[in-house]
Amino acid sequence: MQPPILKEDEQLKIEDLLVRFYTYEGIVKAVEKAKLNLRLGETLGIVGETGSGKSVTALTIMALTPTPGRVEGGNIYFRLTSGEIVDVLKLKEVELLKIRGKEISMIFQEPNAALDPLYTVGDQIAEAILTHRLPEMLERVNRLKKKEAGSFLMRLPIFRGFFEKKLLNQVVREEIVQLLRLMEIPDPERVLDSYPHELSGGMQQRIVIAIALACSPALLLADEPTTNLDVTVQAQILDLIMRLKQRFGMSIIYITHDMGVIAEICDRVAVMYAGNVVEVAPVKEIFKNPLHPYTRALLESIPKPGSAFKSIPGTVPNLINPPSGCRFHPRCACVMKKCSVEVPQLKEVSKEHYVACFLHGDV
Amino acid sequence: MAKVKGKFWRESPRIRELAFILNRIRRSPPSIAGIAIVLFFTFIAIFAPVLAVPQPNRDPYIMPRYGFSPIPRPPSPEFPFGTTEGQYDLYYGIIWGARTAYRIGVLVVAVSMIIGIVIGSIAGYYKGVVDEVLMRITDIILAFPALILAMAFVVAFGRGLNSITFALILVWWPSYARLVRGEVLKVTAEDFVEAAKAVGCSDFRIMVRHVLPNTIFPLIIMASLDIGSVVLTAAALSFLGLGAPTGYADWGQIISLSRNWITGAPGNPFAYWHTYIIPGVFLFLFVMGWNLLGDALRDVFDPMIRRR
Amino acid sequence: MVNDIKAYVARRLLLLIPTLLGVTILIFAVAQLFDPIQRASLYIRDPKQLRDIDEVIEKYGLNQPFYLQYFSWFSQVLQGNFGWSQSLHMQVLDAIVTRFPATLELALYAAPITIFLGIRLGKLSAVKKDTLIDHITRAFAIIGWSLPAFWLGIVLLAFFYGGLGIFAPGRLSPWADVLITTGEFRVYTGLYTIDAILNLNGAVFLDALSHLILPVTTLTIINVALIMRIMRSSMLEQLGKTYIIAARARGLDDKKVIDKHAAKNALIPVITLSGLLTAGMLSGMVITETIFEFKGIGYFAAHAATQLDIPAVLGFALLTGIIFVIANLMVDLLYAYIDPRIRLA
Repeated sequence: MQPPILKEDEQLKIEDLLVRFYTYEGIVKAVEKAKLNLRLGETLGIVGETGSGKSVTALTIMALTPTPGRVEGGNIYFRLTSGEIVDVLKLKEVELLKIRGKEISMIFQEPNAALDPLYTVGDQIAEAILTHRLPEMLERVNRLKKKEAGSFLMRLPIFRGFFEKKLLNQVVREEIVQLLRLMEIPDPERVLDSYPHELSGGMQQRIVIAIALACSPALLLADEPTTNLDVTVQAQILDLIMRLKQRFGMSIIYITHDMGVIAEICDRVAVMYAGNVVEVAPVKEIFKNPLHPYTRALLESIPKPGSAFKSIPGTVPNLINPPSGCRFHPRCACVMKKCSVEVPQLKEVSKEHYVACFLHGDV
Repeated sequence: MAKVKGKFWRESPRIRELAFILNRIRRSPPSIAGIAIVLFFTFIAIFAPVLAVPQPNRDPYIMPRYGFSPIPRPPSPEFPFGTTEGQYDLYYGIIWGARTAYRIGVLVVAVSMIIGIVIGSIAGYYKGVVDEVLMRITDIILAFPALILAMAFVVAFGRGLNSITFALILVWWPSYARLVRGEVLKVTAEDFVEAAKAVGCSDFRIMVRHVLPNTIFPLIIMASLDIGSVVLTAAALSFLGLGAPTGYADWGQIISLSRNWITGAPGNPFAYWHTYIIPGVFLFLFVMGWNLLGDALRDVFDPMIRRR
Repeated sequence: MVNDIKAYVARRLLLLIPTLLGVTILIFAVAQLFDPIQRASLYIRDPKQLRDIDEVIEKYGLNQPFYLQYFSWFSQVLQGNFGWSQSLHMQVLDAIVTRFPATLELALYAAPITIFLGIRLGKLSAVKKDTLIDHITRAFAIIGWSLPAFWLGIVLLAFFYGGLGIFAPGRLSPWADVLITTGEFRVYTGLYTIDAILNLNGAVFLDALSHLILPVTTLTIINVALIMRIMRSSMLEQLGKTYIIAARARGLDDKKVIDKHAAKNALIPVITLSGLLTAGMLSGMVITETIFEFKGIGYFAAHAATQLDIPAVLGFALLTGIIFVIANLMVDLLYAYIDPRIRLA
């Protein structure tokens, strides 16, 4: 009997993901054999510096790896709302279109850049709704039609199409207004007719979230959604996301470089460095007992009042010619001979705590 | 000592840049084609007196005539490209035409660039009213298509290559002025200009040492793309009869001589193909060569496109 | 929102006036390169007035300082007096008005075709970047851009007219010309294809159309490249942007992402170029009209230039300047209509 690909309570499992970017200057080994898993309803944080491969991983979960990137290996198993399990990397485009926006959604770092400046925000939310929830909307239109069946205009076939369109607009508008209220946006009627540049950063991000949640996805990918916002707005958006999670019950993968945010909202954390996942653990555990030297350095580099400013020596490696063996070894305070030769694999060291380091986990 | 020097060369950022540039160019067939074509025409222009020996005691730019019959003669061993209306030696005209093209192209572009640099620097550096006025002037000149404005100037200065050269310079300098002004504005917004001033650097020195290096690349790109356009416009003006006099070795002028012969002879519509096909091909290749080169330079030097 | 547009339009219209004035000043400055005797033709409506040059010079103050002269010239222009054209034997304004329809007809066909084709090819080239189609269209574009317009016209004429005997130069065949001037044909607009439709005359329509084919083809080949390149680079720029990834992340299919989002944003810079291109065509395509003997304002401007007919050339240049300034205005208004960021600024 083959064991099931995903355990009962698992939402997503990434295995041996390999992503390379083919640029003029060489092949960038952006993600190297990454492993991750996510439970149903869990919030998993992915933390790492720029260039760690976290954004690429997130985009690849939806098979939207940006060119010139290519997925060259690995599997991404995902459990759909229906219960069916698919490997995202093996799906055809037609099937992917049904997943993006519906089963898996994404919110972005710069809300202003994530919205098309030429269309109202209402239009853009409507796109999501009409792409995936059309039958439901048409059902509502039918119910409305029955109510107004007697109307004169309905008898004329020429006008009927027109009228139906108008009803559809009305129905979708109502739905959008509801959605915007959920996002705690005041005056939703006016907002939905606004263009992105007319709204503040915080508002824009709420719109982006609204688009992402319009079809109740099972998984929400959040790529540093609060990094570019003012601090006070950041807190509001984080709160909102948490409340929405309560309501919608989706799993979240939250990408950030801010350990403070991780502490606040995540259940588990994965630490990525230079395209590898180097440590995975529940949040409390990682703050209490960070095992990988990089994780420790990250935590130590959080500025604390009264103590000196500590930064991690060295720079993020060039991924065209990454260091041999463990990619962190040139910057590691505890480096051993083995580290430059072999690549450490993720091993479970204690309950739910995985590390990829030769200092630990050698059974 | 030698070892250190070797390492320096390989690791020097400038050398790496150069290697990167050469590599990019090598990978792109159009760029190679462009460079090849430009080299070809440069060769012809330089060696014109050898390739097509001028007749003694004559202006070498006037094509030699071998008779007076208006009917062009087809290519033969004696006349490799045949003769055109009035029995001008087409081969001679085309070889020396390369020189003419370069003369006009390089002169117009070079002088326009210099004027543009001066005016653009002044506008960008001193800003205020000076900038506004100068920019309005460039706006208005740029509002006209090159050919039409050049025509107006030529009518004023009289026909001839000097007139069209002068006219084209007047038409072309505004785009360089704008470019330089933009760069100057960008650079003067930087803090190090304040620092330099505080240390006592003169305005002129600041402009030369800091502003100009930034503008070199865009200027070179613009210049190489412009040589093609300038030569095309000059050829058009000569074709219309406003430029080079009849019999001058100018490709546009040569093509205009073929106008009566495009319908050919009775029974042979393409009897005089050589009068328009050959000079036209050369003109076309010259322009295309420079356009390809300009494109290649832009590909290489445009910082945004580079990293992909 | 309507008020915003009104304010914007009002602002742009106000800016129009100083710009137009600037154009006239430039033209007048060019005119100053000539001596007073030559300039006299700019002020007269009737060649007979030239017999008494001194009187003309006196009357219009041709020896006075620049700004005084400018006012006197400008007031003449406002009265519709652009001077007398020696080479055309008529008032310059009349010449422009009677010759313009031919140019308009040519532009009417050439501009939309060029723009449409340019946009299509640019989009295709960008979407299929680095494939064979991309390379072919780009090669075609750079060839078209490098071709001398007058040479392409000649080659096409040599091949089709010389070789195949079809598509003769000119606007109409001799028989149609006769019909138009003497027959029961009423000329409404001066654009022969349109007039033929209005007269319900199929033969003339086809004849006029067939004479348009070569010049329009020449113009298209040369100018498509311009539009295509801008559209391509604009599309590529948009396709790399975050909102496109976001659109895909919503589950929109490729077609919608490209057509509805990327292309619409990409068109914005293309609009400027298209506007300028159309303006360029409307101000007379000197070379094309000359080669195909299409008697529009470009043809006559070239003719006037070779005759050193100053008022005609200056009048023509002035018209060009005005057309461009208006075209710029239209382009800006179009921008405001399409891009909400500008409209609501």
